[in-house]
Amino acid sequence: MTNTRLPVAGTSPSRLLEIENLSVHFSRSGKLMRAVDGVSLHVAAGETLGLVGESGSGKTTIGRALLRLLPEANTQWQGSIRYQGTDLASLSRAGMRGMRGRMQMIFQDPVSSFNPRRRIEDIVAEGLVIQGVPKAERRTRVEAALADVGFALADVAGRKPHQFSGGQCQRIAIARALAVQPDLIVCDEPVASLDVSVQAHVINLLQDIREARRLAMIFISHDLAVVKNVSDRVAVLYMGKVVEMGSGEQIYDRPAHPYTRKLLEAVPVVDASRKLRPAADQQAIPSRIRPPSGCAFRTRCPRAVARCGEEEPILTPAPRGQMVACHFPHDETAPFSTARQA
Amino acid sequence: MSSPGAPLVQGTRLGDIARAAMPATSMLKLPGGTLFEMLAAAFLVFLVLIALFVDFIPGLVSPKFPYGDFSQMPDLTLNGLLGTDDIGRSILSRVLYGARASLTIVFVATCLSVSVGLLLGMLAGYYRGMLERMVDLYANTMSALPSVLVVLAFVTATGTSVGAIILILGILDIGTYARVAKAGVISQNNRDYVLAARAMGATDARILMKEILPNLIPALTAVMPTLMAGLIITEGSLSFLGYGIPAPAPSWGGMIASSTDLLSRFPVLIVGPTMAIVLTVYALNTVGDYLAHRLNSRERGN
Amino acid sequence: MSEDLPILACRDMSCQISARPKALDVLQNIDFTVARHTALGIVGESGAGKSMLVKSIMGIAPASVRVNGQIMLDGQDLFAMKPRDRARFIGRKVGIVFQNPMTSLNPYVPVGRQIAEACRQHFDVPRDEARQRAIELLRTVGIADPEDCYDYYPHHFSGGMKQRIMIAASLICHPDLLIADEATTALDVTVQKEVLDLLQTIQEQRQMSMILVSHNLGVVAGRTDEILVLYGGHVVEYGPTSEVFRNPRHRYTEALLSAMPHMDQPTHTRLRTIAGQPPSLANKPAGCPFAPRCGAAEGPCHTTMPDMRTGTDSRHRFACHFPLEQTVGPAVVSGATDRGARAQ
Repeated sequence: MTNTRLPVAGTSPSRLLEIENLSVHFSRSGKLMRAVDGVSLHVAAGETLGLVGESGSGKTTIGRALLRLLPEANTQWQGSIRYQGTDLASLSRAGMRGMRGRMQMIFQDPVSSFNPRRRIEDIVAEGLVIQGVPKAERRTRVEAALADVGFALADVAGRKPHQFSGGQCQRIAIARALAVQPDLIVCDEPVASLDVSVQAHVINLLQDIREARRLAMIFISHDLAVVKNVSDRVAVLYMGKVVEMGSGEQIYDRPAHPYTRKLLEAVPVVDASRKLRPAADQQAIPSRIRPPSGCAFRTRCPRAVARCGEEEPILTPAPRGQMVACHFPHDETAPFSTARQA
Repeated sequence: MSSPGAPLVQGTRLGDIARAAMPATSMLKLPGGTLFEMLAAAFLVFLVLIALFVDFIPGLVSPKFPYGDFSQMPDLTLNGLLGTDDIGRSILSRVLYGARASLTIVFVATCLSVSVGLLLGMLAGYYRGMLERMVDLYANTMSALPSVLVVLAFVTATGTSVGAIILILGILDIGTYARVAKAGVISQNNRDYVLAARAMGATDARILMKEILPNLIPALTAVMPTLMAGLIITEGSLSFLGYGIPAPAPSWGGMIASSTDLLSRFPVLIVGPTMAIVLTVYALNTVGDYLAHRLNSRERGN
Repeated sequence: MSEDLPILACRDMSCQISARPKALDVLQNIDFTVARHTALGIVGESGAGKSMLVKSIMGIAPASVRVNGQIMLDGQDLFAMKPRDRARFIGRKVGIVFQNPMTSLNPYVPVGRQIAEACRQHFDVPRDEARQRAIELLRTVGIADPEDCYDYYPHHFSGGMKQRIMIAASLICHPDLLIADEATTALDVTVQKEVLDLLQTIQEQRQMSMILVSHNLGVVAGRTDEILVLYGGHVVEYGPTSEVFRNPRHRYTEALLSAMPHMDQPTHTRLRTIAGQPPSLANKPAGCPFAPRCGAAEGPCHTTMPDMRTGTDSRHRFACHFPLEQTVGPAVVSGATDRGARAQ
């Protein structure tokens, strides 16, 4: 694995991954769907970027596009994805194979992310076999990766995925990703299908590994509390676009975009000090095939005015430092972020 | 979860409960069939053993078999159990030797169609596009044509030989196997483990062989007995029409054909070969149903 | 049918699955009541027995499951009835909304007609009136233009909308009890909030009782009056929602609450974890189901299932040999916290 680590002129060397103007379009039965529409993101080494949004916001598509895992049929994508200066779009399949050892992925469903007919030690070693690591080294690296997630090789040897619980499977999935020693892991809803009592362990584990290995992560989740916990920076996606991006504190304490506020308000919080009073409002979510003109969120936005339908807002720095794509960003502290009881 | 957890059998949802109750190793065995299904399987095993070892059963070997002795009366040995045919050949031994002929033909033809069908189906399911359309077209065409006619046309052109029969019977089912394989590949193609393998940089060939192929085996095993039963019938019909294994070699279809001439006077002659076909086909279908059922419940369990 | 009679009361209920080599206990010693006009939250992880509990109450548990004990619905003992009468009685008294609306809605029939047909089955009303009722119900659950939507097929609706339609369908018989079995689990947070709000509004407006089943503590907090925590097929804690959340006495409830990430924690806070795995049906611990994972478990915890005890508030009960100390005084509903204001 001798990959060029030379930074291309114009990119900051601390940026491990730079996505510029990424668009992914799917065509299904004659209709074009913009799954991702002009998204620019970057991740520094050792940093965790959280991607949040509702289903259909394009977060999973971004994660898969980074690893070039999108189906080739009926999919078009443009934009540049630079990983340590190398443009992934320009790489051949074989060239991309060389990059695979540096970027890995963890999937949502711990059961379906393993081939049910293969043994755990083969699953974890698979990436090393593909990367052409010699057999002796393979074993030590598999052992090390399993040890990092709290398994001894003897615990898993000879067993098949169905003999492990969801949480254990997710730890093994982390080990599989770690075995090839990547610099970046894309975690696509890694704890969404786990029970609360098990989820905490996986989150802690990811944090420990991130620190110990100085891993960069892209953490995709619909659970805003989890994203808050793991992310250094957070990008909020709505209908394939980034509507707000900033540090965890900026996004959670002073969200500038009305959509971010709406998301945060909707998170069910364990607090039973009094009964919630139900709200009556509801808005339809617009079609992905024919997005509304101007700001895509205006149909659900309480602040929308005529201008929002005419002019599409672009990401600009908000007063508090984060980037926001809104004509009328909020500036006040979120009403729900103050005086939270433990 | 701080302890490096001892692997446990997952078993909390209703579907998993049966599995939870048994140790994980018993997953590999094939228990749980009814008595009937067990009998069917035993019959098939018996048939295969006969086909393999018929030469070594004392009393069945020449001079009485299989080309017989024209002058002798039916005797009371094993050989005469089902009587003799019009030219004095032992029916039992001809049925047993016929089993060898039928099973060999069907087995080799199935190997042929499974290997070609699997290859085509996997490529069609993985790459889709033109290849998929061609495979579909082929499968549809083959299932639209009556199989006996196809075989007859082919055999008329090539002449009857065992090789030709195997070849054409093999070609018959390629489309069906290809379709089963194709459907399996398509359903797996978006599973996370295939994506994970691609994220690891696995080549297409490696994904197909290591990740997808092992998961196609159950579906193929489930359809195989049923298709083999179909081949037995097709082969029998062919021999019945006189286009099968050339006489005087014994075949079930040929025996039925020759017994029909004497049906009004010696109806018992038809019993042996007919029972052989009926029982074999029935047993194959029963085992096929059992496998399909097992496979389904296992998929649900997973 | 007096008003103070609870709408639902389960007494010493248990569920067993007949299996080899031994029968599996899915639920044991379930005891709770749902008073009229109140909402009960049932929480538990996967495998805790939540959905089996709901199925047993609805009388739709699989045939291999044996339900014992007593279930009183609106003062009537369900097991004393003939199966046919029981099904009809339950159908009239209880409405249910499941997690996946696609399994309950027929994809080939317009949604309005499905509701109207169900209406006709129960009430024998003329076609026109059934249609009117269906449209009325669709309006109740917040479907805009119900007259038009009446003729739409299920696939025209988003997940949240389908769930609203399911709620409408569950209201046909004016049930006294509405059960939402993980009804919002598959939905996005914003939609989940809308559907939960709708459920709560309907429950309050129609003076119904409600059971909200969820694996998510956040979903039941603030929306229920009482909460039942299930673990490994046992009720481990049961009491007024505010009490249980402020002052959990069972160590499982407490551990679960502190294992959840909160939005007010700073980034990279280490979460408290719970060792081990939830028990599986096949190998349940002999004593307290939580004992193998519990930090405070001692001798008796591993051998005997603790009895239900009562806290300072007599309605707050928990099954723990060594319960947590009462740390806060009995819950006083504090005035308008910002949390309350937030809900609007």
